[in-house]
Amino acid sequence: MSESILAANPATREGRPWYRNRKLDQYICFWSVPFFYNLFGLVFVPLSWMMPPRSPTSDIADVIAFMQSPNLLIACTILTLAIGLSAVGNACYMVQMRRMSVSPVFLFAFMAGAIVGAVVGALFPMFCFGLGAFRSGYDPEILQMMYDFGYLSFIGSLGCFVLNWGMLGLAILLDKNNILPKWLGYYVIWQLMTEFFVATVWIAHDGPFAWDGLLAFWFNMVIYVPWQIIVYVCIFRAIRNQPENELRNARFKPGATYA
Amino acid sequence: MSTRGQLLLLWTTPVAGVLFLAAYLMFPGFSPPMSPTMTPEEVAAFLQANLTATRGVVIFVNLIGASLVPFFACIAVQMLRVGNSSPVFAYSYIICVGIGLTAFILADYCWGVAAYRPDRDPQLVSLLNDMAWFFFIAPAGLVVVQNLCLAGSIYLDARPKPVFPRWVAHFNVATAVLMIPGAFAILHKAGPLAWDGSLSFSLRLATFAVYVAVMFFVLLRVVQQPVESEGVLL
Repeated sequence: MSESILAANPATREGRPWYRNRKLDQYICFWSVPFFYNLFGLVFVPLSWMMPPRSPTSDIADVIAFMQSPNLLIACTILTLAIGLSAVGNACYMVQMRRMSVSPVFLFAFMAGAIVGAVVGALFPMFCFGLGAFRSGYDPEILQMMYDFGYLSFIGSLGCFVLNWGMLGLAILLDKNNILPKWLGYYVIWQLMTEFFVATVWIAHDGPFAWDGLLAFWFNMVIYVPWQIIVYVCIFRAIRNQPENELRNARFKPGATYA
Repeated sequence: MSTRGQLLLLWTTPVAGVLFLAAYLMFPGFSPPMSPTMTPEEVAAFLQANLTATRGVVIFVNLIGASLVPFFACIAVQMLRVGNSSPVFAYSYIICVGIGLTAFILADYCWGVAAYRPDRDPQLVSLLNDMAWFFFIAPAGLVVVQNLCLAGSIYLDARPKPVFPRWVAHFNVATAVLMIPGAFAILHKAGPLAWDGSLSFSLRLATFAVYVAVMFFVLLRVVQQPVESEGVLL
């Protein structure tokens, strides 16, 4: 019966234009992710030059000059307007976790991590730098404190990411619906392990374990960037492969009447 | 899904309004808001002169922030009913509410700490005040994304009888646009875009107040749709 309705209505087959795609909500949110990561990169690299990280042992004159650069305020403004998109990117993971055969406990723990992560991993560190630029004349010790607070919070916030990748990795491995591939589950757990490397930035001031160090920063970055891209490619495939009859809006057919 | 609990929670929205009115009438010290051009010494002097008002407002604002959460939660629950392919917009919405509320309450606490020991080094008082304003500005960006998510989900509602009327989507896009200038208060110390300016402060607060009031009445109707047979969607 439903097959004949689908066949009779050409719009429900591949002939559907993109804006009538049933999964349009998921595709809109998915494509906000590359947009957000590009903005995020723009804010933290060429606009603020906060990344790659400056040295924890920088000369106080350099710290002051950096903390007072006006570009930091533009970076803060863009981040303020775009930070909500981090929520949209995380919601893309959550939608796939919801489809898995695991308890919603993974989903809600991930959600809590996503909320905290956006505050301590992006908004707060950027504001620490922006505050120095907003008002010239802050004492050097204050600027040094905001500099440390910004970098430690940005690079050293491991807790919420350990939580998030733990929830995602475990959910993938326990899932019986094979929403995301099992190898991705193991890959996510390995990514989680690299988060522990940043623990040393809270102690070391220079060398490989400092916040600009070879192990604590560069090693992590080299592993993280391809990992993040691979995860989102897998999410995209999961959206694309979701059968039409499983979609929440699949039961609403145009022209039908409902009680 | 029962409607009674939602209706009950929805009535915390006017409570937030009453709290706001009470704070405004009891402690009028903050209208007009402090100017971003005040020096650290002036900020410290202002807080010392308005100590009771600051502390009172800090306590009220904390409660106002918290009493708006059930309102946003009701919207999120109704978004989960909207006929989209997935709950992606609703999940985005909930995370945005969490981030925005955290920033809002951090702003409140920065002012609270500044007023706790106003004889602190004026540099530190001023830093807390600036930080409070930054965090006060941040929720504007989250409301923008939040409203666009709600609008997107309404536009794509496949239900023959949509959960939200379509004009609510247009209304959410309009309020999102009006909130955008608020974020530029980080860049400007004077004029309409400064944090005490007409666009960043007055327009933003007025937009938000009208938004909450209109959405409250929208939700009153939406929440009472007969949905017992639908079950609960996560």
